Amino acid sequence: MKKFLVILFAFFYSFCFSQETDTTAVEDFSMYGEAELAGGGKRFCTSKVFDLSPNKLISIGYDYQSSYKLNLGAIGSNAGQEITTSNNYGLRVAANVPVISKTNVLLNIGATYWDNFYSFDKEAAINPLALSLQKYGLRTMGLNFTLFKPLNEKSFFILNGSGDLNGNYSFNDFQSLSYTKISATGIYGWKKHDRLMYGFGIARSYRVGEANYFPVFLYNYTFKNRKWGVETLFPAKAVLRRTFNSRTLAFFGYELEGNSYLIRNRGNEFAPGIDNLELRRGELRVRCVFERSIKDFLWVSIQAGWRYNYRFNVDEKEFFRGFGDDPYLATNKLTNPLFVNFSINLVSP
Amino acid sequence: MKRFILLFLAQLLSLAIFAQTESDAILGVWESGSGKARVKIDKAGEKFTGRIVWLREPNNDEGKPKTDKNNPDEKLRSTPLLGYRLLRDFQYKGDKTWEEGTIYDPENGSTYSCTIKMTDENTLDVRGFIGVSLFGRTDVWKRVQLKKK
Repeated sequence: MKKFLVILFAFFYSFCFSQETDTTAVEDFSMYGEAELAGGGKRFCTSKVFDLSPNKLISIGYDYQSSYKLNLGAIGSNAGQEITTSNNYGLRVAANVPVISKTNVLLNIGATYWDNFYSFDKEAAINPLALSLQKYGLRTMGLNFTLFKPLNEKSFFILNGSGDLNGNYSFNDFQSLSYTKISATGIYGWKKHDRLMYGFGIARSYRVGEANYFPVFLYNYTFKNRKWGVETLFPAKAVLRRTFNSRTLAFFGYELEGNSYLIRNRGNEFAPGIDNLELRRGELRVRCVFERSIKDFLWVSIQAGWRYNYRFNVDEKEFFRGFGDDPYLATNKLTNPLFVNFSINLVSP
Repeated sequence: MKRFILLFLAQLLSLAIFAQTESDAILGVWESGSGKARVKIDKAGEKFTGRIVWLREPNNDEGKPKTDKNNPDEKLRSTPLLGYRLLRDFQYKGDKTWEEGTIYDPENGSTYSCTIKMTDENTLDVRGFIGVSLFGRTDVWKRVQLKKK
């Protein structure tokens, strides 16, 4: 019996520890080229091309515009005014987290918070819009999602949607959710290879200040030398990317930025009876951006450029103008300052 | 008494075999979600590791084998990617899950915490993350069968 127990123990021991051998001896790697997916799995294209700028999980930034003039039109019985900002600044916070991350579907959910404050120091604000901007600034809070659905190894579909609450509200004087502005983009595209993907689609967007529908063209391309690339969602944005290395990038290009803001007569800045106006802000930002990993997944982004005002007009209420020529309640003109933007970002794997 | 000891040892043995079989289910060759690389998962002691054994594009623009050029450590940038150990230190934690390991992404030279979950015998959910699992991304790897020559 003792003999049997010893044999049994020896067998048990040898079984348990025989697996400790490192099986990483020198191998002929060519044998791994000829293979097929077990169980007949299907391959799908990925959502990125080589060297595409990293997805920012969390971004905390600060945006600053230098001094510029606002020539604000009359609103009702309130006179117009030309006034100069000493500066225009705000916090920009965003989160964008992948909640479903599979080979055959990717879903990111995001949230944004932007504020934008105006200070005038040379003359007192008289115009009601200037008063409102000075007292309350502009805020945007929103939720968004991006769905990437590859159909096979070569084609994909992208659906993006967002709901933003824009206005002169504050946290203790919030505005109704019924004023939420909805934007969406749908794109059908092709991934030709690891350095090129493109697609066509349609977008509903407030980037020009008021809701509009227009075609979009997605084009992400990395040149063969891997030093340069193009990241485009035309007409919303287009950049030329310079890859110094995987942790240092620079971008040169533009982005259309804007939204429609509910302007309430919170403190009787406007004449009685004027309330719930819509400020249509649309601007073009031509810029250079430098991004670098400062510690592992922590990246810093510094951008500087020129802000060109496309629209800063006021409508009496929210409505769909489309490409029509309905007159604005007030037409405002802004000069075009330089701006800088600084952000710290946690980037995604 | 002898019978009891024998039964106890037999039970212990069968449990060990079962645990071993389940933990070793991850061994084999797997293709990443992008299809750009195949990784062979091996076992060293009680830990599991994975090496790149195939690359869809094995050579750089100069026609030479790709190296780990994005590694933050300059001394390691000449290491060939083929054979590179990008999965390290995984331990089987039961429920078809291997944890406490890391995954290296040669595309950006970053190393992430990583958990591997086997969803079926031919599929792995490989989740790389930063700090907490929420801040991460899952790549689905498929088992590949080598064709016999």
